[in-house]
Amino acid sequence: MGTASMNPDVEFCGYCITHPAESKTNFRIQTRGALPAVEPFRKGLNDLMDVCQHVLNTFERSMKEYRAQREEQMQ
Amino acid sequence: MAAKRRTEEMRDRVVLGEFGVRNVHTTDFPGNYSGYDDAWDQRRFEEAFRVDVIREDGDALEFDMVGIDAAIANAFRRILLAEVPTMAVEKVFVYNNTSIVQDEILAHRLGLIPIRADPRLFEYRNQGDEEGTEIDTLQFQLKIKCSRNPQAAKESSDPNELYFNHKGKDHAKFSPVATASYRLLPDITLLQPVEDEAAEMLQKCFSPGVIEIQNIKGKKVARVANARLDTFSREVFRHESLKNVVRLARVRSHYIFSVESTGILPPDVLVSEAIKILMGKCQRFLNELDSVPME
Repeated sequence: MGTASMNPDVEFCGYCITHPAESKTNFRIQTRGALPAVEPFRKGLNDLMDVCQHVLNTFERSMKEYRAQREEQMQ
Repeated sequence: MAAKRRTEEMRDRVVLGEFGVRNVHTTDFPGNYSGYDDAWDQRRFEEAFRVDVIREDGDALEFDMVGIDAAIANAFRRILLAEVPTMAVEKVFVYNNTSIVQDEILAHRLGLIPIRADPRLFEYRNQGDEEGTEIDTLQFQLKIKCSRNPQAAKESSDPNELYFNHKGKDHAKFSPVATASYRLLPDITLLQPVEDEAAEMLQKCFSPGVIEIQNIKGKKVARVANARLDTFSREVFRHESLKNVVRLARVRSHYIFSVESTGILPPDVLVSEAIKILMGKCQRFLNELDSVPME
């Protein structure tokens, strides 16, 4: 929902949980103009995938640098 | 000039006032602020985003994630707690329990023991399979006798245990982290110069190391040395003279994560797994979208 709401074509974007006992979520996207609402949803999901991939790469790179730095300090 | 500063503050700081917290929610949606282009831009995100590993001691890891939205940081935290799968004792077959501990209490306690098996090497059991196969089950035998004190009653329990692969949201025993938490980076600003006795009092109001006193031209002047160490006890607000001198805030997009593993997987592997699980969920959603025909 975070990345979908960052889209300027989205007029409304929100979610609510129908009941805490059942695992269902109502998710609503409304676009302004003629754009089909599936598009910003799909784009949001793809953007989230890209964000996660980038976070993963950056995190693993930082861990490697930290460990390399620690090795150097120990020697 | 002041208006621009205030907008910046509204966008990137969560301000802790005397009686409440301001600017809590994310407001930088496209169109909200004139003069700012807030539409999602992967390149801009990548330029601003960074991860700094602060400390790694065995099972505990502390690292900073800068430039990410609250929703995503929270998603990682929740996935670390509830969705990274682990192995734990699920079924305990008790053959002979003559101890003072009841069967179910013993079984519960065995379930909470972290098992040092890499959960990525196992598969989920299919629904309806009663017998375990070697791809989803670990079987252990426990035979103990307590015979330290010959006078005291003897205990013997021979349970046969099965270990299943599950996620933390099925039962808390399956959670792979002792705890995973984050906090926002503190940002302390002195709005006026603080000197002499007021400086000493200010230093005592914060955690040790946050405020340091420098000697400039014979006068003692307070300076913010390391805001990161502060735990925000808000002691300043109890002193009338110091209340308006300091602005307590947090940087909205700077998360200090602290992950402590129970020993099953090292904490950095847990974080990587959590990120991959979030990607997996997105992918499942996308596949669903593609398979369901839309009008």
